[in-house]
Amino acid sequence: MSATPAMPAPLLRVSDVTVRFGGLTAIDSVSFDVRPGELLGLIGPNGAGKTTMLRSITGVVRATEGRVELDGQRIEGLPIDRRILRGLSLSQQLVKPLREISVIDNVALAAGSAKTASPLKSLLHVARHEELAMARKMLERVGIAQHAEQSPAIQPLGVLKRLEMARALALKPRLLLLDEPLAGLNSKEARSLADTIAEINRQGVTIVLIEHNLGEVMRICQRLVVLDNGRKIADGEPRAVMNDPVVRAAYLGGDTLATAAADGAQHA
Amino acid sequence: MDYEISLLTTMGVSVLFALSLNLITGFCGQISLGHAAFLGIGAYVAAMLGKAGLPFLATLPLAMLLAGAVGAVVGLASLRVRADFLAITTMGVGFLFVGIVRQQNWLGGELGISGIPDTGLSKTAFMLLTLLLCALVAAFSQYIRKSWMGRVFNGIAEDEDTMRVLGIDASRYKLVAFAIGTALAGLAGSMYAYNLRFIGPDSFGFVESITVLSMVVVGGIGSVTGVIVAAALLSALPAWFQVIGDYKLLVYGGLLFLMMRFSPGGMAGLVTRFFSPVGSVGKGGGT
Amino acid sequence: MLYVELTAQGLVQGAIYALIALGLTLVYGLLRILHVAHAALFTLGAYVGVIVCNASGSLALGFAAGMVVAGVAGVAMFRLAYQPLLRQPPFVALIASIGLYIAAEEIFRIVFGAQGLSFTAPPLQGQIPVFGGMQFKVAELLMMLSTVAIIGVLGWLQTRTRIGVACQATVSDPQMAESFGITLLKVRDINFFVGSALAGFAGVWVALLNNLVEPTMGSVPSYKALAIIVLGGLGSVRGTLAAALVLGVVESFGTIYLGQLLDRNAIAFAFLILVLMVRPQGLFAKR
Repeated sequence: MSATPAMPAPLLRVSDVTVRFGGLTAIDSVSFDVRPGELLGLIGPNGAGKTTMLRSITGVVRATEGRVELDGQRIEGLPIDRRILRGLSLSQQLVKPLREISVIDNVALAAGSAKTASPLKSLLHVARHEELAMARKMLERVGIAQHAEQSPAIQPLGVLKRLEMARALALKPRLLLLDEPLAGLNSKEARSLADTIAEINRQGVTIVLIEHNLGEVMRICQRLVVLDNGRKIADGEPRAVMNDPVVRAAYLGGDTLATAAADGAQHA
Repeated sequence: MDYEISLLTTMGVSVLFALSLNLITGFCGQISLGHAAFLGIGAYVAAMLGKAGLPFLATLPLAMLLAGAVGAVVGLASLRVRADFLAITTMGVGFLFVGIVRQQNWLGGELGISGIPDTGLSKTAFMLLTLLLCALVAAFSQYIRKSWMGRVFNGIAEDEDTMRVLGIDASRYKLVAFAIGTALAGLAGSMYAYNLRFIGPDSFGFVESITVLSMVVVGGIGSVTGVIVAAALLSALPAWFQVIGDYKLLVYGGLLFLMMRFSPGGMAGLVTRFFSPVGSVGKGGGT
Repeated sequence: MLYVELTAQGLVQGAIYALIALGLTLVYGLLRILHVAHAALFTLGAYVGVIVCNASGSLALGFAAGMVVAGVAGVAMFRLAYQPLLRQPPFVALIASIGLYIAAEEIFRIVFGAQGLSFTAPPLQGQIPVFGGMQFKVAELLMMLSTVAIIGVLGWLQTRTRIGVACQATVSDPQMAESFGITLLKVRDINFFVGSALAGFAGVWVALLNNLVEPTMGSVPSYKALAIIVLGGLGSVRGTLAAALVLGVVESFGTIYLGQLLDRNAIAFAFLILVLMVRPQGLFAKR
């Protein structure tokens, strides 16, 4: 009997999460795991609920039912800032740099999360060299160090997307969530940013990525979770998932449940 | 000499009051249209305690404490409402304060409290104390600005939701800004009471709240130096130009409007535009 | 009996508030600006109405003149004061508006004198008993009827005509107005004109009811109007009307039963704060 290596405990576990807004069910009993060191893609057609799913993990939206566990600890009841301090960090789809301060100051602010954790702590600390040094390293990591002293207000979208990422990285997250980081970029910029994301993952950061750009997703993600109409319809290795008829039907607008049933009948 | 001393004292109290609002509105971006209520709380506490026999210096911390406590409660309440409701809610608090005090006979009702005892200090000494407090609060404000708290406040003023995504409990920080700002307003209030020796509810109404807000805005939101200069000038304006006396409000209103129309960054903004090259980053003025 | 009378009084007051608040809600809904200077248009309408009526002997002419002048002045305010400030943070427009209002109040005082103006031959005197034993002055009755009529027409215009729909659409989607063939600028002009004319309309009525126009008559109603637009759910015509009437009645009862504790203005704001604590989005907010 060959010894199979034990599966490492999941870093993030989403269990039967349901999100309802008024009469609308945006997410219906979705469960999946994220293993440490993974680069997981969360995909699905428009309106599938991907962003809502991400929001329920970060806390922008409260899950109506279900559990979200980070490293075994439940976080579904915590406010956003508490979840961030537990080790999550988020790069938003609509970039929101702080325009009144420089690019590097933006990242340094994130780097100082230990000092900003409480008003009292923040009042007692003035020095910034450590955070600025860390910020510069993050900027170099995403490749925008040359813009450090400049204002975000004059940067193109590609740079701002990387700034979002640098800021998220400066929080030293255990799990990095990226919401459509490639949206709005041309194919050259998208490829370049995707490469950077893959490199960051190789350096040891666990990443969950929402993306529409399936080409890049297929290229860099190790595993895909597919949502459609608020339900999970596939979970596995990218090529297998994309060949799944249920997934293809979802993207082409077919009835995923009927396709699954037919598929099941075929193999029976 | 007497007139100058008196003028400087009045200016000092205004500066103190304006600096206290600068923390809330200037640093942390929370618009308060009812700040005069906290000046009033400090004044009434100092007046009542003073008349009850407490020595002047002892009334100061107590005035600050009560003003800050009520400020914290208001801050808590304001966290519940949408940002654009905050201005109107704080305006409501201001009206509520005046409305309640006017009806309470034990607080002197509409006529207020008179015969506030002497501080025991000479006029000059009182003036110097006022200016000393101004210097201390100004230094404290500058310290906050340079500290991590100041950076968080600035971030909250610009984009509260993004600050949460950076792991910052924005609500707690806003509450702290309110508590500190209102406590300092209470300090200004007690100096105000002892300076005038009589106070009435109408001194702490909406017009006064607007006045102090305009000092902060004209000075340049967040700029400590700007706010000091604006507060000193605006409080002394009618005194310096006797001819303006009758037209004081007109000049005042016109000034507010023109300043906002042509230099929203206030006086500090004007200074920055004059001295800094285009395209550089950073808040205006305020050294 | 008392309840009926109080309710009647409350409704009259509420109708006046509604007229003023409507203009504010139209502006806020459109531009997210707290248009405090709106109060000046109320007063302006009153002055013009009285002067024209006294000069021509016709009340109707007075109304028309008051509304048109106020409407035009409102558009001028938008073009000169607010439009240039649309890209600035909200407090800039707020302070500019406050400056405008203070200056306007002063200009009225300087031009028309502080004592106030009256009708030389006050029209529409006399009482009319209505069902349930309520007594209304002829003027009050006509005012309420015309308020309901105007609001009804406005509501109809908003939902049934192209212009109305475009106005509503611009709140959520500015670009959409252009597809209706109406420029954004025009929509805003129309909103300001209508809202300001309404304020002028209210001004003439209040001048009639009190037989007095004086420079500061706009302040208190406008502060309350600010509270009303929050209560009513910003931008909603029906919500504002409902909130205005509710506030009028609450004030009426409150002054009698809570008069010991609070004065009249404080009651309005105490109600506002209480409501916001229970329902932070306002009484009649749609979402």
